[in-house]
Amino acid sequence: MKLRHHLDGSHSRPFAALVACIVLLAVVDGGQGRFLSAATAYSTLQIFATISLVTLGLGLTMMIREFDLSVVGMYGMAGCIAVLSGTQHPWLGLWFALAIGVAAGIAQGFIIVRLSLSSVGVTLGGLLVFVGIAFVLTESRSLPYDNLSVALTLNERIGGIFSIRSAVALVFFAGAAAVFAWTRLGRDIIAIGSDRRAAMTAGVKVDPLVIGIFAFSGFCAALSGVLLSYSLASASPAGLSDVIAPAAAGAILGGVSLGGGSGRPLGIAAGALTLAVLRSGLNAVGAPPFVNDITMGAVLLGVAVLDGPYLTRRLIVARQWLHRATGT
Amino acid sequence: MTERSSGRADSAVAAVATDPLRARFHRARVFSWMQAVGIVALLAVTLGTPGFLAGPSILSLLTTVSFIGCVAIGMTLITISGNIMSFALGATVGATAMVFILASNWLGFGPGLLVGLLFGSLLTGLQGLLIGWVRANPIIVSIAALALIYGVAQAFAEKGTIYAEAGTVPASVKGKIAGVPIEFIVFLLATFIAQFILSATRFGRNLFMVGSSFRAAEAVGVSTWRTVTGAYVWAGFFTSLSGIMLAIRYDSANMDYGVAYDYDAIAAVLVGGTAIGGGDGSALRTFAGGMVIAAVQVMLLLRGLRQEWQYLAAGLIVLAVIILQARGSGR
Repeated sequence: MKLRHHLDGSHSRPFAALVACIVLLAVVDGGQGRFLSAATAYSTLQIFATISLVTLGLGLTMMIREFDLSVVGMYGMAGCIAVLSGTQHPWLGLWFALAIGVAAGIAQGFIIVRLSLSSVGVTLGGLLVFVGIAFVLTESRSLPYDNLSVALTLNERIGGIFSIRSAVALVFFAGAAAVFAWTRLGRDIIAIGSDRRAAMTAGVKVDPLVIGIFAFSGFCAALSGVLLSYSLASASPAGLSDVIAPAAAGAILGGVSLGGGSGRPLGIAAGALTLAVLRSGLNAVGAPPFVNDITMGAVLLGVAVLDGPYLTRRLIVARQWLHRATGT
Repeated sequence: MTERSSGRADSAVAAVATDPLRARFHRARVFSWMQAVGIVALLAVTLGTPGFLAGPSILSLLTTVSFIGCVAIGMTLITISGNIMSFALGATVGATAMVFILASNWLGFGPGLLVGLLFGSLLTGLQGLLIGWVRANPIIVSIAALALIYGVAQAFAEKGTIYAEAGTVPASVKGKIAGVPIEFIVFLLATFIAQFILSATRFGRNLFMVGSSFRAAEAVGVSTWRTVTGAYVWAGFFTSLSGIMLAIRYDSANMDYGVAYDYDAIAAVLVGGTAIGGGDGSALRTFAGGMVIAAVQVMLLLRGLRQEWQYLAAGLIVLAVIILQARGSGR
């Protein structure tokens, strides 16, 4: 019984998508060894490191039926802050950027909870402010990061396929999965997303938890931004802004529903990994870069339609109409 | 409780405790007063800036504000319909510019215009159909459309920029009419058309109803999916005006046109006072919002602050307006 539940439950869907994606790319590769190689695995994990933590933060806000748009701005701003303040002491730059990420997340969460505002609106304001700060800090230029040894250390291969950067992301996912498995926190988050009022009645401390999740989302965005800027040895206010589509797609592929109340950290990891496999795999088999954009857009659009609350109703009406049209 | 002449905080607090309706009214009035005072103060500082009233700066302001302004007018309809915003309108600007140039090179200027407008309207209308018909999440649909538009554009135009053949675009559409840039006249016309749609047609009335309460609109028999789709079709129409004007101005088209216009547009919509939750707003307000942001940006530039401060200023204004809106509506 339990096994069956595991097999056809929605929990396993993200992993099925991941496996299907790998099999498909391996078939396209046709045994030429371009896809199933250590080099592709390494580049997959590097892409995973770039997008997965933002996906986790955004995914958690989606689980409680909010949406943190500001991750895009925080991602870029944190990188700029770290590069500006961490040339001599990389750790200082990291802590500084993380502290700002958490503080900004708390501030946004507080505004959302206290004024009962839509999170899209508030985080849109946050996004524009963060982007503005990044432009002001960098004076609209791309900043070089002169501490090249940090970049080399972060990207150095460990065990053939890992790097410090991807290991950090994997450790965070393991931690989040452990928290979900062994504490009340995961259940409380799902409860808030399913029915906030009922969760409040059941004794879940909704407001602090919502603020905490926005703080965590700010933290995740800041951490990935800093790691990416350090490893690229540069930061620019505008160049990092195409992260919202992969983050949203990764969370949705990972089983986070748009209506809130479902999803798990491991699922989100699988979703982000699927996107990473897709991008590095398509690259490895020599597909042009736009294939990746189109695939991602098509997946997002498909899920959005399948998740539409009126889909069943419309299909029934359409079938009746079709029936009548062919019957007469 | 008697009305006190001083609007002190403690009297407002007391009013909240005793009479929620009056408190809401009170707060709404405080909000509109703050808005009025803010705009007057802004105007005073702006007009007092040396060089602001000189011809060149005003003319360049009117031209640049028009490109974003048309997108903002389109965005207004989406926001009023209760679907917050679209992230795909900036990409639609670039795509429309490309389609317009291709079609004009092939069929001539007039048909090219028509094809461009039709393309933008259909592309955005299709997203509206998904959002209205199955109630797909508008944010996700627009992010998906963004990725798809950029992907397909890359597949079609590998070189990036496409140029208009010489003589395709008549010189008469590039000048000024009575000293006013044509772009600004188009922006004004778009504002008036949108305002007419919103306040004088049945579709406009339905749009406000759907935006303020989807269920109530459905209950009184409004065809919600037609209304939402219509909002997106018009949004695409106004957005494609911006793409076509950019293509005419530069005699070429590029997917870089319209990058980040989505954010500038929603900023104009919100600063104008259209509610982010839908159901309330107007095109004239968005026009004012766009002009205010543009005026602030030109003023900052003239006062010697670098361009990047404009971005920060726009962000802070939007954040403040969103927070103030909540206080004003008494939620």
